[in-house]
Amino acid sequence: MPSIKLQPHCSSPAKATIASTPNNPLPALLQTPSGLALLELQGTINVPSGNEEQDNIDYSSTDNPASTFETPIGKLMFPDYSVHNPDDTKWMKRAYMYVGRYQRMTGEVKKLPRPIAVLRKRQASEDEELEVVEIVRYKIFFKSRPEPVTNV
Amino acid sequence: MSTQGSRSILFTHTRPQEGFRLLELTPELEELLTSKDAPLLELKSPSTALAQAVIDPTTHDYVNLCTPIQTYRIRQVQSSNSLHILRPSRGEISQADIKVVEEEPGESGALNLPDEAVTALAKCSSTLELHVPPGGFSAIPFLEKSLRLYDRRSDDDGDIAMGSSADSTAPLGSKEMRMARENVCQDIPVSMAQCEQGWRELCAFVDGAEGVACWRPSARSRLAVWKRLVEGAVLQGINLEKQFLVGDLWKSVLDDDEEMEPPFPRALLEAVVRRICIADERPPLADDIKCESRMDGGRWLQVSGLLTISCCSLGASFDKVECTQWVGETYLAATAPTTSSAIGRSEFLRAWKESLPETWRGEAALTTLPNGCYNSPDPTTICFVEPSQRQPTKKDASAPITAAKAKNTRNWHELLKGHR
Repeated sequence: MPSIKLQPHCSSPAKATIASTPNNPLPALLQTPSGLALLELQGTINVPSGNEEQDNIDYSSTDNPASTFETPIGKLMFPDYSVHNPDDTKWMKRAYMYVGRYQRMTGEVKKLPRPIAVLRKRQASEDEELEVVEIVRYKIFFKSRPEPVTNV
Repeated sequence: MSTQGSRSILFTHTRPQEGFRLLELTPELEELLTSKDAPLLELKSPSTALAQAVIDPTTHDYVNLCTPIQTYRIRQVQSSNSLHILRPSRGEISQADIKVVEEEPGESGALNLPDEAVTALAKCSSTLELHVPPGGFSAIPFLEKSLRLYDRRSDDDGDIAMGSSADSTAPLGSKEMRMARENVCQDIPVSMAQCEQGWRELCAFVDGAEGVACWRPSARSRLAVWKRLVEGAVLQGINLEKQFLVGDLWKSVLDDDEEMEPPFPRALLEAVVRRICIADERPPLADDIKCESRMDGGRWLQVSGLLTISCCSLGASFDKVECTQWVGETYLAATAPTTSSAIGRSEFLRAWKESLPETWRGEAALTTLPNGCYNSPDPTTICFVEPSQRQPTKKDASAPITAAKAKNTRNWHELLKGHR
């Protein structure tokens, strides 16, 4: 297969994400038209599950919400962010991620040195085709280890 | 506590995860993708046969990302950090599991489910990075392998002339030619503009005489076309430095005797004309768009035959210097292709001058030849050096030094140095 097409735009921009979830709780800076955002962690998220190894790629079931489920992990917080003052970017310096109730990671929101295109296999296309779903310019970045906390 | 009053967002993990890839964009690519009429991009790798014929010393398997005019090599860069792709939650959270996060949902610092949740729906442990190797990308090595070599001289007495091409006065339409060309370019892992640039450089052409086939003329055939072209132009009083009609030039090339087969396909003449009426041998990348429009001009030229040559060279006719250079190089490639067949310098210069229109002969000098295109086995002789064998000095001088460094970005030291 010498050539695979990469479509510059998503075939179904609004369908999957925005329509069913009108509210994007993230700070405006991190919001993208498709709702996708990037979070970088040092380490991984281990989610207990019966089928551990199916973690990675499963193209087939993405369109079927009934078969997906979400496991709560913790909470994200941008303590200095205020909706009333969206132009001030000082809040980016601090972000928290609680894992469970008693562990917290401290991180920040960073502008990516180069924007990142999120690519996905185009669904319902006969040939193998990729599409650019979103171009992301910021990431939430946690580079430190979790610390114990008690006061949540 | 310091976090009081700020909203907390429930963070969940979606299962099954989705498949995404992350591609780091260059500024040009970002601009391209965010523009209103973003073009279709392609991920190209050479066909198996071509990959074996044209070996890239730096890597075995590779994929290139091609915009209409630009090519990038894709490299997968692993990271020890994991990048998660988040999306606002759709609320398929098992309420029983909330306990993990919050003892009693709805209490202080309450989580307002499901609006206030994001979910990680994919994890990527690698990103795709793009880079352009120091020498850039060229279609020529691939074209040389995929096009048939056309090596028939006009004075070969016609017994192996191109089939019955003379009978059909209507040659292939420009559309068929373009399709044939694009078919070849499909398997070549560089952008279409770069394919066309290489195509032009090789004077490649499409001929329909024996079924549609794509050819690249040998140096010998190119030289024969040139000689014939100059002869004809002199006979018909066509000044090659001024604007002229390709149709007239073609007529001047044909023998007076209508019955005779043409010495070579008209497409070959046009390919040669297109090659030498272009000012820069290799325009810098920024000029690629211009160069593409020139190509369009060239195509148009094939269709109507009425357009003057100036259409495909931005207002110039044959450029004396460029053309002289091309003739010299072609002559050398045709007569002294290897060290063992080297010819005398003075002999070469004389022959070179003789193949030029009279007024151009002053241009012919060894210094006019493109850098590195010739070699001197001893002080009196000269021979041709294949482009692939040439010292990589000429273009690299203009290439930014950072490009050379980018070669080893897997090496962290290099990578960091580049960022300073």
